[in-house]
Amino acid sequence: MSANVDAVAASAPGSNLGIAIRRGLTDGAGVVAILYVILFTLYALWDRSALTVSGVTNLSNNAAPLAIAAAGESLVVISKGFDLSVSGIVSLSNVLMATYPVEGPGGALVSLLICLGVGGAIGVLNGILVAILRLQSIAATLGTMIIGQGLALVIMDAPGGTIADWVSYTLTDVLFGIIPVSGLIVLAVVASWLVFRRTDSCIGLFAVGADETAASLSGISVVRARFTAFVGAGLLYGLAGFMLSVQTATGNPTAGTPFLMLTFAAVALGGVSLTGGRGSLVGAVIGAATLMLLQKVLFSGGVSSFYTGIFQGAVMVLAIVLGSFISRLASTGARA
Amino acid sequence: MSGAVCALDVRSVSKSYGATVALQDVSIELQAGEVHALLGENGAGKSTLVKILSGVVKPNVGTMRIGGEPYEPRSIVDARRGGVATAFQELSLVPNLTVAQNLSLPRQAKGSFGLVSSTATQKQGAAILDRFGLRLSPTAIVAGLTLAERQRLEITRAFACKPKVLILDEPTAALAETDWLFGLVRQATAAGVAVLYISHRLAEVRELCQRATVLRNGRSIGTVGLEDATDHTIFEMMVGRGQAEEMQRRATAGHSTRPAVLEAEGLAGGSLKNISLTLREGEILGVAGLEGQGQRALFRALVGLAPLGSGSVRVDGASVRLSGPDVALKTGRGIAFVPEERKTEGIFPALATATNIVLPVVGRIGRAGLVSERLEREAAAGSSSEVDLSPRYLDFRVGDLSGGNQQKAMLARAMQTGAKILLLYDPTRGVDVGTKQSIYAAIRRFAESGGAVLLYSSELPELVHLADRCLVVYGGRIFAQLSRIDINERTLVAALTGHSIQETAA
Amino acid sequence: MSSARPSAALQPPADTRRIGRIRSETISTAAIFALTIILILASRFVSPALGSWDQVDTIITLASFLIVVAFGQGLVILAGGLDLSIASMITLGGVLATTWNGSLGSEWVVIPAVLILCACIGALNAVGVIWLNIPPFIMTMASGIIVASAALGYTSGTPRGAAPDAFLALMKGSVGRLSAVLIFVVIFVLLAWALQSATAFGRRLYAVGANREAARIAGVATWRPIMAAYAISALCAGFAGMMLVGYANGATLRMGDSYLLPSIASVVIGGSSILGGRGSFAGTVGGAILLTTLGTVISALGMDQGWRTVIEGAIIVGALLLLREDLIARLRNRSAG
Repeated sequence: MSANVDAVAASAPGSNLGIAIRRGLTDGAGVVAILYVILFTLYALWDRSALTVSGVTNLSNNAAPLAIAAAGESLVVISKGFDLSVSGIVSLSNVLMATYPVEGPGGALVSLLICLGVGGAIGVLNGILVAILRLQSIAATLGTMIIGQGLALVIMDAPGGTIADWVSYTLTDVLFGIIPVSGLIVLAVVASWLVFRRTDSCIGLFAVGADETAASLSGISVVRARFTAFVGAGLLYGLAGFMLSVQTATGNPTAGTPFLMLTFAAVALGGVSLTGGRGSLVGAVIGAATLMLLQKVLFSGGVSSFYTGIFQGAVMVLAIVLGSFISRLASTGARA
Repeated sequence: MSGAVCALDVRSVSKSYGATVALQDVSIELQAGEVHALLGENGAGKSTLVKILSGVVKPNVGTMRIGGEPYEPRSIVDARRGGVATAFQELSLVPNLTVAQNLSLPRQAKGSFGLVSSTATQKQGAAILDRFGLRLSPTAIVAGLTLAERQRLEITRAFACKPKVLILDEPTAALAETDWLFGLVRQATAAGVAVLYISHRLAEVRELCQRATVLRNGRSIGTVGLEDATDHTIFEMMVGRGQAEEMQRRATAGHSTRPAVLEAEGLAGGSLKNISLTLREGEILGVAGLEGQGQRALFRALVGLAPLGSGSVRVDGASVRLSGPDVALKTGRGIAFVPEERKTEGIFPALATATNIVLPVVGRIGRAGLVSERLEREAAAGSSSEVDLSPRYLDFRVGDLSGGNQQKAMLARAMQTGAKILLLYDPTRGVDVGTKQSIYAAIRRFAESGGAVLLYSSELPELVHLADRCLVVYGGRIFAQLSRIDINERTLVAALTGHSIQETAA
Repeated sequence: MSSARPSAALQPPADTRRIGRIRSETISTAAIFALTIILILASRFVSPALGSWDQVDTIITLASFLIVVAFGQGLVILAGGLDLSIASMITLGGVLATTWNGSLGSEWVVIPAVLILCACIGALNAVGVIWLNIPPFIMTMASGIIVASAALGYTSGTPRGAAPDAFLALMKGSVGRLSAVLIFVVIFVLLAWALQSATAFGRRLYAVGANREAARIAGVATWRPIMAAYAISALCAGFAGMMLVGYANGATLRMGDSYLLPSIASVVIGGSSILGGRGSFAGTVGGAILLTTLGTVISALGMDQGWRTVIEGAIIVGALLLLREDLIARLRNRSAG
């Protein structure tokens, strides 16, 4: 996970490391990274298996679907929108993979393409509704989410089916005896973000999120920026659905339902401003990893599973309050 | 037209939004190397014309030519390509990006692999800042800049596009001094750039421009050479009939013996260093200051919007702690505030005008706890007639009203509260001449009936016209205090610019 | 005397055009109700059992929960927020009402106690939103997770106990030929409408939701309407939870889940702005009834759950497209002409 922490610094613009660190902190991604380290230390103290390859792989497999979904959500949130369709897309990808399992590496590719296709298609629909037809994003994606969930139920009306063995085995495995495949896939997402960050499209995304009018008067195409965000998000939700199926190895038409709340929790925990224009996909990824780790920590800490929600909720609120407190400190420090 | 090709030739352009006609048959010609003023009241269609020229909106009919070539921009970028750059009134800078990033929108400088390079963008930005004499860090985030710095950056960005036609829409709204801008404009025109200059300040226009085109109600009324046209003629073109009424001074009343209603002692905190003032019953106390001298903080502190570091406030002789506008309204004889930013801090566009006016006291007008539109209308009728706002507007959504009428509604709202102390922050900013007169009359009547007014204005004639005494703020302190007989534009300008050398150095 | 002043001659074009007095909310509300009625009438062609008075009565009963919840949700959305905690608050209301009923004393102690507790939790949401500056989305999501977890722990996973008699009577009883819940819904809608549209509180809420800073500058103590909105939302959710246990005579731990998204959907379909400051309760009621009618008709037609859900989503998108700002504005201008 230290790779992610480095990535935070690298993702901040400006070559100066000091500036980068301050940006990381004020972005909120720094706060959640520190939180992750603390939780991981606790977890390692309570559960010795945490530091083994299988322990890390387990964590990685567990966190990957949510991390990728949160990554997608962060794109839309940065452009000042909300995308609820995540749970629809994840469910739909999951039931498609369970209904039509295809074996082998070729099969994995076909399944992946199907998932990306579904996510991309709903992303395009969202993009049309929000970017072009200018509907309120939270309302429009509520509609597409419900449609997605409905289609998932049409395809599979009760939990069942199995994911192709090759796919579910290989992609939860470890490469060269030490690197979890799921972690690599998350890293690939992060790496694409780091490249994307250095494009005009990404700067447009941040600009539109902060001030749509100013952005458009500066020559940025607001429609294109929004559209890009929704399509990118849709593709990532598709990938998240793929990774979830790989992990659960079975189909469930409501598999994506928990993702709705959790992705937003991860995005907020990761310091992405829900009012747009501020944050980083990396923060959202770490936020997701933190949420999943928290469950493990609570479990190994002996907290009854009934009460994990209380801690999850409290951590969310505390992280937000702490994050805004730190960013206020940092900004007053910068002014002085 | 006489043989020479115009830099910009706009012919019979019209634009309507649904049933609303914003521009009708507007024509304007700019010669290369000319600074051409565009004049008109708010709502006359200036901003629509600016948007059409900048490629933001497309005209329904009409033709435009640049240097003789047809010009039909489909976007801002397209307009820039066609040689037109605009510094917008509402400032088109993206707040979360750096100065350098803003300067190179929408396309940043690229490094290896065609990816954005922040170093190259910075270098590019620094070069532009240097060329236009702007002392800003290219890596500074725009949100952290002052309004004046942002305005300069906006202007610089337009100049940096190397346009053939440059549009400056109210470029001095946030600038304390104009030398920098005028210098740039003169350089540009000397190089053959045509400049379309839009400003409410006629003195500025006369200093800089050669000709002016006047718009009224969406039509172009005519183009005049500014040397031949008197202020009176221009006003007449703008408003349709003689409005250039001489500002009448009102008779000085002896206020010094009347009770003090609002006293501030040693206010400090934020941009306030040390401000003391006394406002008496029946008095209009003017506040003058260049941009950013603490006047905004002073007004906000006096209604409890900004916390005070130190100092005390007394209302009707009693020491008070003002924790917010709601508390200020209920303190002593009541303090009501009219903020400067009508759109963001003032009106609720989707609510009816009457609802807007009675909002602060809506709890008082109900019957058995129930409020109806009729009750609101009846309650608002009094104060709206005070400010000369036609009662037929009370039912309309305030967002559908003109800027001037919105401003009247804001003033009516302050009066509706029954507060006897009004804090007015630039109450006539961006409103037309007629509305100004109504607002002046309302303020005067309010003071004559025993109210007390603290009035900040960015327009000196207004203070000369209205104020019984005038404070000049500079650097968070009271720099000068002028009594009625001393208030004239010359002494005010002297007091305001007494430190102007330091101000430009800062 | 005003004719002597110059302003009369100086109205810029913005004012000289005709401005519709008809509110956009009125149009969207009318459209929603028209759609609902068309749906009920159309369903008659498919099956004569549909569209009968009994069926309307059933629809109102089923919609009653959503109407109550959506009122609170609508207030919070109007205030510029969003309440994601209502699913848990419904569950909490139902769970506590059944668990405490009998064990804590008379139901006339239990019911107010549950409602007060719910309102207090709602007020806590407001504290986080107003003073800790936590985005409403996050604050209410977190409190929802916390409350759900607490309810789970409190009941050890299996809620017990029976519904208070008052709610059994409300949901199952009838007055003459009318069912009690129908009468309740009518009264509730009238009171709720009045609270939102005809009180000082409602006016302040519209202002605060449209622009909180401007409302503060105008002299509104902005925290009060916001806090009231969150408290009322939680209270309504708790009340709906008790209605649900009255209807089903027992609580389950997930009973609130299926009302969260429909509550937001009702408000949005009803023409309110999700960003706050605009909307009407009448529209929300229309949205709630439309959604419920749709569900009833589709299941009566024997369609399965999946298609029903797809159509629901499509209706939301369709309603949004129909009620687009610019279309409404055009209509408004035309009707004013």
